[in-house]
Amino acid sequence: MKNEKFLRLPILVLFFLIFFKTSVFAQSSYVLPYPSSMPGSLSYKIHLIYEDISKYWYFGDFGQFDYNRKMADKYLVEAKILFEYKQYLLGYKALGKSDQYFINILPNLIKAEKNGKNILQKKAVLDEASKKHIEVLRGIENNVPSVFIWEPEKSTPTTLNLKEALDISIQLREKN
Amino acid sequence: MKKLTIIYYGIFLVLFSIFSFVFVDQNIPFLNNIYLGLAFSNRLLTSIFYILSIVIFFIFYGIFIYLGIKKNINLKEVFMLLGMTAIILFFSYPAMLSYDIFNYIATSKVLFFYHENPYIVMPIEFTGDPLLVFMHAANKVALYAPFWIILTGIPYSFGMGNFIITLFSLKLFVMIFYLLTAFFIWKMSRNILSVILFSFNPLIIIETLVSGHNDIVMIFLVLFSFFLLNKKKIFLGTLFFISSILIKYATILLIPIFLHVVWELIKNKEIDWKKVFFRSTILMSIAFLLSPFREEIYPWYAIWFLPFVFLIPKRKILLYISISLSFGLLFRYVAYMFSGTHAGFVPLFKSIVTFFPAFLILFYFFYKKLWGKNSFR
Repeated sequence: MKNEKFLRLPILVLFFLIFFKTSVFAQSSYVLPYPSSMPGSLSYKIHLIYEDISKYWYFGDFGQFDYNRKMADKYLVEAKILFEYKQYLLGYKALGKSDQYFINILPNLIKAEKNGKNILQKKAVLDEASKKHIEVLRGIENNVPSVFIWEPEKSTPTTLNLKEALDISIQLREKN
Repeated sequence: MKKLTIIYYGIFLVLFSIFSFVFVDQNIPFLNNIYLGLAFSNRLLTSIFYILSIVIFFIFYGIFIYLGIKKNINLKEVFMLLGMTAIILFFSYPAMLSYDIFNYIATSKVLFFYHENPYIVMPIEFTGDPLLVFMHAANKVALYAPFWIILTGIPYSFGMGNFIITLFSLKLFVMIFYLLTAFFIWKMSRNILSVILFSFNPLIIIETLVSGHNDIVMIFLVLFSFFLLNKKKIFLGTLFFISSILIKYATILLIPIFLHVVWELIKNKEIDWKKVFFRSTILMSIAFLLSPFREEIYPWYAIWFLPFVFLIPKRKILLYISISLSFGLLFRYVAYMFSGTHAGFVPLFKSIVTFFPAFLILFYFFYKKLWGKNSFR
């Protein structure tokens, strides 16, 4: 009887820990954009052209920082939506694009610092963005298969190591 | 009498320039040693001095117009007086009534110093920049059209990184456009009264020579474009017209007039420039009246239509309304100067004070017309 009472508190703590498991992850206040047009539509192709051109409009270290961050955000959201709709190949590609843009963010900040610009604020933004990205990527990871074989009708199948890709994406963001 | 007027005018301008330094902001580290704080600690006295100055400005304006009408002043004297005005007011403190000149410098710095796109990166993003302490629109991307930003590279590079030199280089830059506009008003009108009406209008003087607003650059370019069209140089005229739009966009409203003039030129028709200036006045007045939809009617927006009005001084009602508007607009500053706030009674006061003199003039003309009709004479 006495032992039962003694056990009550740890059990309660354990219950709360398990029940509120999801709140253990750090939540970022960083806001991701709304999804824009998706692959397959004509507007998507126009968007791609617009993105290529706007790369030059976003000149300068901070400009490039903003450009790459925005693109990394955009493609992450795109990947999330595509994975939700089980469009794994397209989602996989979008995730790759997001990673590529994300890789470009930090070098631009380093360049800005070398050019005498104070990067503290931008670094804080990047940290928040990284947290949010990781949050989203972990969410995706829980809902997609580890490996998926994409079998198109008239060509060779593609093996997508989704778990591995997502892990790489998370690691990449954790490095910041 | 005329000589004495000019001497008094010169003394007044010197005093006004000194008075402008009462408005130096405490937060400007570059001007710390001349900070008086009077404009912020003694608002009533400052407002009274300001109101008196505006009234005196308009008295001199009236005298010069009178001398012009009576043909008691020649072109050489007008240009000497104009030069004197420009030189004396060049030394005035530019952020007396508006902080826009700091925005020009900040935007220029974003592009030419930090090598960033001012339409994407805001000045506030450059943490630690000394301009951030006192400028008022640090959290905005560039508000001006690209050609203006490119042009500011000239005074900015003249400044060689020194804030005070940059500030006064920008004033000098704007001053040159004021002088050029006066010159081309003469060239286009061959009317000394038009030059006087433009050059000594207190609103144009204060907003251009003191505050250094870029509106005069936009107007000069459009007038120069019309001047070139008059010389049948369509290509160059088009180039300068586009340049004008790319200063502050407002002259985009003149496109129909510009195209009509070009069309007439192609058809070898005679152009009635008085009509062109009248239509330009109407369209630029519309732009002026529409400005509250963007933010509010700022006094310097009157520069968009005033030069066109002064090119057709025989349109009496238009002329009197414009002069009374320029009088009223300069009083918009009084409410903030006195209260130190933009809230409460200030917006209403601004609206009343802006349009009241113009309404009086309109009422006068309306009454005169009505009385004239009903009289038995």
